[in-house]
Parts: sequence; C-alpha cells; structure tokens
Amino acid sequence: MNSWSYKPARDLNLKTRRRWASLDRESGLVSTVMHQIWWLFVRTYLAVWHRLEITGREHLPADAPLVLVANHTSHLDTLAMAAAIPWRLRGRLLPIAAGDVFFTTPVTSAFSAFMLNALPMWRKNCGSHALKQLRERLVGDPCVFILFPEGGRSRDGALMAFKPGLGMIVAGADVPVVPCWLSGCFDAFPPGRKLPRRCRIRVEIGPPLNFAGVSNDRGGWQQITAETEAAVRRLGPGAEAVSESKSEAAD
Amino acid sequence: MTQESRDRLFGYEHAFDDPVTLAVTIGLAVALLVTPLILLGLDRLGKIGPGMRPELWRRYFSWLILVPLILVPILMGAFWAVMGIGILGLLCGREYSRATGLFREHLINAVIVVGIFLIYFAVLDNWYRLFVALTPLSISLMAAVAITADRPQGYIQRVALGVLGFTLFGTGLGHLAFLTNDPGYRPVLILVFLAVEANDVFAFLSGKAIGGPKLAPNTSPNKTAGGSLGALVLTTLLVVGIGTPIFRGTAIGGWPQLAILGMLISVVGQLGDLMLSSIKRDLGLKDMGTTIPGHGGLLDRFDSLILVAPVVFHYLNYFVGVGTGEPQNIFTGG
Repeated sequence: MNSWSYKPARDLNLKTRRRWASLDRESGLVSTVMHQIWWLFVRTYLAVWHRLEITGREHLPADAPLVLVANHTSHLDTLAMAAAIPWRLRGRLLPIAAGDVFFTTPVTSAFSAFMLNALPMWRKNCGSHALKQLRERLVGDPCVFILFPEGGRSRDGALMAFKPGLGMIVAGADVPVVPCWLSGCFDAFPPGRKLPRRCRIRVEIGPPLNFAGVSNDRGGWQQITAETEAAVRRLGPGAEAVSESKSEAAD
Repeated sequence: MTQESRDRLFGYEHAFDDPVTLAVTIGLAVALLVTPLILLGLDRLGKIGPGMRPELWRRYFSWLILVPLILVPILMGAFWAVMGIGILGLLCGREYSRATGLFREHLINAVIVVGIFLIYFAVLDNWYRLFVALTPLSISLMAAVAITADRPQGYIQRVALGVLGFTLFGTGLGHLAFLTNDPGYRPVLILVFLAVEANDVFAFLSGKAIGGPKLAPNTSPNKTAGGSLGALVLTTLLVVGIGTPIFRGTAIGGWPQLAILGMLISVVGQLGDLMLSSIKRDLGLKDMGTTIPGHGGLLDRFDSLILVAPVVFHYLNYFVGVGTGEPQNIFTGG
C-alpha cells in the first residue's frame, strides 16, 4: 500500500493580501465557484455585446498544461481568450496579469484573485525566480496560462516585439504553446478608453508549438520568443509579407 | 412558530434570566478589564521577559475579540448562537481542508459544505431525525461523488479526509449547537466553552508548576502528565462549582454526577488537543492557519471543543434530556 501523501495549500500561512498577490495562490471551493460565475458572465457579455467569434478551436489541446499567447491591445484580450477555452479546462485557467496594474490596491487584488484567478507578473523587476515558480506551477498542477509576451498593451494596435519571459517558462518542457490572434479588441476598447465600444471581436486559434526539445538557456529562450512571435504574426492581417521579412531578420 | 420557540431563538431580553449567565458574564468582563492591569503590573515588576511580552499581549487582544464574539450570540438567542457555531464549523472545515489538501477536491468539499448547512438547519428547526440522518447520508454521498473523478489512486485518502472533516465540523460541532434547543441553554453553553478553554489554561499552568513525565512526546512534546492531572482536577472543580446552580434539581444536580461531567470535559478536551497535534504532526505543520494572532488557526483554539461537544450533549441528553417537550420542526412544521 502506498503511504498517504498530504499536500497542504501552498499559500497556507500567507496573510490575506499577500495571498491574493501570491504566485502560490490556490483556489478552494468558494473561489472556484466565483471564477466559474465570472467566466460565465464574461462569455455572455462577449457573445451579446461583441458577437464573439472563435475559429480554430480544433487546434486547442484537450488537456493542461497549456499556454495561450496572443497579441495584446486591450483589457478585453484576456476575457476573449478565456472565453475561447472549453469549460472543462476553465477550472485550471490562470491568466498572467501585470502586477503593477492588477495587484496594486486591495480592491483590484481581490478582483484579480477572486474573479479572474490571475497571477501577477511584476514587469519592472520580474526575477528569474518568479518565472521558475510559474513554470513549476504550469507543469505541476497542471494549469492553463494566458499570457501576452509583448509585455503590455500596444498603443497603436500593431504587434510589438515579444519579450523572452515566455521562453523561460516553457523551454525544455512538454507544454503546448498555442498562438492566437485577437482582432476587434483594439477597436472596441483601446488603452485610454473608459468603456468598450460595440464591435465584433474575433479570436483565431493557431496550431500549437512545442518547445520540449529546446534548451533552457538564453539561446533557447530567444528561439522560443522568435518562433512564437512569428506564429502569432502569421495569424494576423497581412501576415505573409511581415513573416517573411521577420524570418529573414531572425536568421 | 410558537411564542416559546421565538423566545428561545430570538429572545435577547431573556439573556440574563439565569443568574449563572449573569455572574459568568460579569466575571469575564472583569477578567478582561483586569488582565491588562495585571500584565502592566507584572511588566513593571520585571516578571515578564522581553520575549514573552508581545506574545502575551497578542493573546490578550485575541481573547478581547474572541470572548464577545462567543458570548454575545449566546446571550442574544439560540438563533444567533447556532449561526455563530455554524460559521465556526465552516471556517474550521475550511482550515482543515486547506491544511490537508482536501480543498482540491471540489465535489467532496461541496458535500461537506451543504451537509454542514443542513446540519445547522436541522438544529435550528429542532429536527433531531434529520440531524441524525445527515451524517450517514453525507458520508455515503462523499463516497459516491468521489467515484466520478474516475481516479482510483488516492480514493480512500480523499473520502477518508472528507469523512473525518464532516464528522468533526458538521456532526461534532453540530452537537454543541443542538444544546441550544433547550430553553435553558445559555448557562450550559457558557459552561462548556468556559470549561474547555479553562482546561487548556489549567493544563498549561499545572504543566509549568508540576511537570512530570511527558504525556505523548512524539505527538506534543510540551504536554506533561502533571499538566494533564492538574487540568483534570481543576476543570472538574470548575464544572462542579458552576454546574451546581445550573443543574440543581435535575438528575445530574449532585456533585458526583457533575464531577463525572467535569472529568469527561477535561479528558476529552485534552484528547481533542492531542488529536489536533497528531493531525498537525502528520501534515508537518506548526499551526493550522493564521486566523487568530497569538493562537494560530481557529482549530488551534477550538480543537478541544469539537470532541467535547458530542460527549457533553449525549451525557446531558441521556440523564436530563436536551429540549424535551420543546416544539419540534419549528420551520418545517409537522
């Protein structure tokens, strides 16, 4: 007979506010119910107000772990991506959100933790330790991450260069990285706008990439960043011309 | 709902009908007022080491919050007391579930939460049959819902953790709440809370004063036989002292019967303490949580109460009867 193994909550002895902003935060029954209600609400809102259209669902792997990446132009992005995830994976969903936007006040922290189930990424001083923690969590739990490798919302709607953090999370791990392209979010709710405008949002899901064979070092991270950026770009508008020039530049 | 049920559930104007309730309330208020003066005095005399000072004050402030939190609902009426104990049960269950890892099993947890809600509803309704039925039904349901994950590895552990959690925080604590179905519940509940908490303090003090061989060195290295025996004697005296006016004229009104009650509370209370120590040792944790400053989690404070509750309930129910002749099915009719 195997001996029993107890795994206490990783955030067991953290005080409430530290817990909300912790990468070790784990959801219990109440917060799981809250997340489900929130995502149901979001899905309904996007369907009704933005006539959300999702294509390429067949590319989504059936099980966690899994990382979804996309272009980032709006606060609606995370919501649209989450809506594209099937119900059975939604309990494992952890969007990666900017700590300096979503986890600065008690109210936003509570919202990010209880509703979005977001994990903070501190953009100014994100150490390799935090990325390692995210990686262990992604593979160990396992879970579904939504992240935007541009590291912030594009102010003009055009795709910006990807940052290497994504590489540090997935290099050498057998985790599918699913590139997506979001269109309509920038028109609906660009940075600086108070309320979303009514216009259609589309999510296009591309075929997954796998970086299990890529070494977990600087070269590997750069390779992953470049390949993912190219894959996301390929899904975007006018992709052909851009991707060719990009791949030449990468070589 | 009859007038007598309404009086019992919501009749705050009857809070001090029993002189024991009034006396203990005044005693506790005085103790809470005098303790800081004693602490300051001892500090002035240099009797408190610098390491102990913040710890003692933290404990004092925790009690300053806990005593009214426990006492006020009991005084306000049975409804509030049941709500208070129910919330305590849910919070303890949450702590337990996070500490053991059971919180990752949402279906089992949902059964525990719904079961606890129903248990306290049965208590409020004074529906003893439902109260009794909920334990076996919830256990069966947990065993059943755990199948649906189709993950036999760890099945026994998941279900067993669920069963232990439900029986401790649902069934066990529920018995404490069921005591409120007697119109004279106030002094009885106060006696139980007071005796259980005093038992801890007595064990600590007599352990310091007498010491002796270790009780269970692997489980709880600080507990000694001297502390245990000291608590047994002092708690029994306390229960006989406060219990005599409460139970005068009933089948357990005599001192031998009250002494047995006191010994039961002391022994079972200490076992509850050791039970939680065993759970924490098994999990490799020092405290169950961070809810109460200076004490740890809620369970670190109320561990003894959980085992004492059913023992006291059935001792009283067997010899005196809890709420006999009271209207039943208050809300559900019938």
